[in-house]
Amino acid sequence: MAGSASLYRRRAIKNALALGLGVIATLFGLFWLVWILGVTFIRGIDALKPALFTQMTPPPGADGGLANAFFGSMLMSLMALAIGAPIGVCAGTWLAEYARRTRLGGTIRFLNDILLSAPSIVLGLFVYTLVVAHTRQFSALAGALALALLVIPVVVRTTDEMLQLVPSTMREAALSLGVPQWKMVLQILLRASRAGIVTGILLALARISGETAPLLFTALNNQFWSADVTKPMASVPVVIFQFAMSPFESWHALAWAGAFVVTLFVLALSLISRFLLARSKVTHD
Amino acid sequence: MTDSAAVSTAHAVAAPAPDAPKIAVRNLDFFYKDFRALKGISLDIPTRQVTAIIGPSGCGKSTLLRVLNRIYAIYPKLQARGEVLLDGENILDPHYSLNRLRSKVGMVFQKPVPFPMSIHDNIAYGIRHHEKLGRAEMDARVEQALRQAALWDEVKDKLKQNALGLSGGQQQRLCIARAIALRPDVLLLDEPTSALDPIATGRIEQLIEELKRDYTIVIVTHNMQQAARCSDLTAFMYLGELVEFDRTETIFTRPAKRQTEDYITGRFG
Repeated sequence: MAGSASLYRRRAIKNALALGLGVIATLFGLFWLVWILGVTFIRGIDALKPALFTQMTPPPGADGGLANAFFGSMLMSLMALAIGAPIGVCAGTWLAEYARRTRLGGTIRFLNDILLSAPSIVLGLFVYTLVVAHTRQFSALAGALALALLVIPVVVRTTDEMLQLVPSTMREAALSLGVPQWKMVLQILLRASRAGIVTGILLALARISGETAPLLFTALNNQFWSADVTKPMASVPVVIFQFAMSPFESWHALAWAGAFVVTLFVLALSLISRFLLARSKVTHD
Repeated sequence: MTDSAAVSTAHAVAAPAPDAPKIAVRNLDFFYKDFRALKGISLDIPTRQVTAIIGPSGCGKSTLLRVLNRIYAIYPKLQARGEVLLDGENILDPHYSLNRLRSKVGMVFQKPVPFPMSIHDNIAYGIRHHEKLGRAEMDARVEQALRQAALWDEVKDKLKQNALGLSGGQQQRLCIARAIALRPDVLLLDEPTSALDPIATGRIEQLIEELKRDYTIVIVTHNMQQAARCSDLTAFMYLGELVEFDRTETIFTRPAKRQTEDYITGRFG
């Protein structure tokens, strides 16, 4: 008994040690996160007024808001989703359902993972040389294209993974009714993994809504309100970048406010996608 | 509709003898890549009877069942050689339409897998693929299938609710209803009760007894008592071979082979 008592004590000590290290690591990570969130909140809340959403980006020293930047970000992000999400869902479906065990599928999955971790500035430069250099015009469309290249790998990956989580017996059950594969995929599998796929699209939106680099060389920026997708367009991250680098106090305040709103938006998207995913897991059991 | 018309004419031409088996398996070999999982299986599955396939894990009983509706064909590198005659036609012939085969041979799996849709749509889904029905006709077919699967009384007030909300036993009966809604000739059951509690198991076994009036049933089971309780014929398989196939009472009281006796008395497996 003495042997087992000391064994238990050793285990208890090891357990406490591992738990302690885990807690310290978590706190370390959380500390920076809370600090960043706190600073954007405190500095941002000062500049946060209704004018932020109604007035255009001002010249230095004047009052103004970020209305044109918010509009530009929203429009370009939605265009990027409209281009990227369907391609991503289709490609992810193909990977999971038609090329799961093939060499071609494995290769494309690997390339997609590389694209997923590619620096976004590379994608911006790619669209710059492909579109902007040829049209000799910075445009919102080029910006949306660069963002779409960020959306695609995220959506491909999540669609692929979500479909792979659907048990193979669901496929067998549908096919054993005589239903052809494409109907099974469209009507059963995509429905079964709908929540996960929507989550992937929301996460992609969260990712692109804070991206600056792909827009710098493509959509550039615009001091004024513009809804013309063939012309340069403002976006929140690029305006934050420009204003934060400037020497003007009023621009700094607007940059903080913009950062705060973007942070809140991304946070909300993450919460929504977590909620969606959690709910889909409950119904799967 | 044209499909079923074609089926009935084909039926009239090659009218099988009254005591002809529903399914005749002839010299069936099955390969997972190079591994030979079934070795020269031949057996006759009679019409409107329950045929049970028993044997230890890995003996090939599920493999045999999965050949009967060619569901194995969805995976690469699997191959069946030999003949499986359904009403005298070889279903392994690549020209035999999968659509037609699977409308004649339904299957229920080990774990209940309702589709992520309402109870009503779970049943209607398969029917819709094979037949164009009006709303009233469809509702009648759904009700009929649920009644046959002894589930109607429990779900008639919540047909629009998600099928994932049903209990495991109800889900399995829903899957049976989904299979019989297509009015197949044959029903394949792959360990249909192994994920269920004893009460739900009892209900399914009772259901099998009732269903054999209309359907030819082949059931794979791990549970020898289940085979003894609800089958008319029993096939005992071991290491990919069909060891013995006979009336169930013969298999369980006077087996001809030593291996069969050892298995059913629990000496191995």
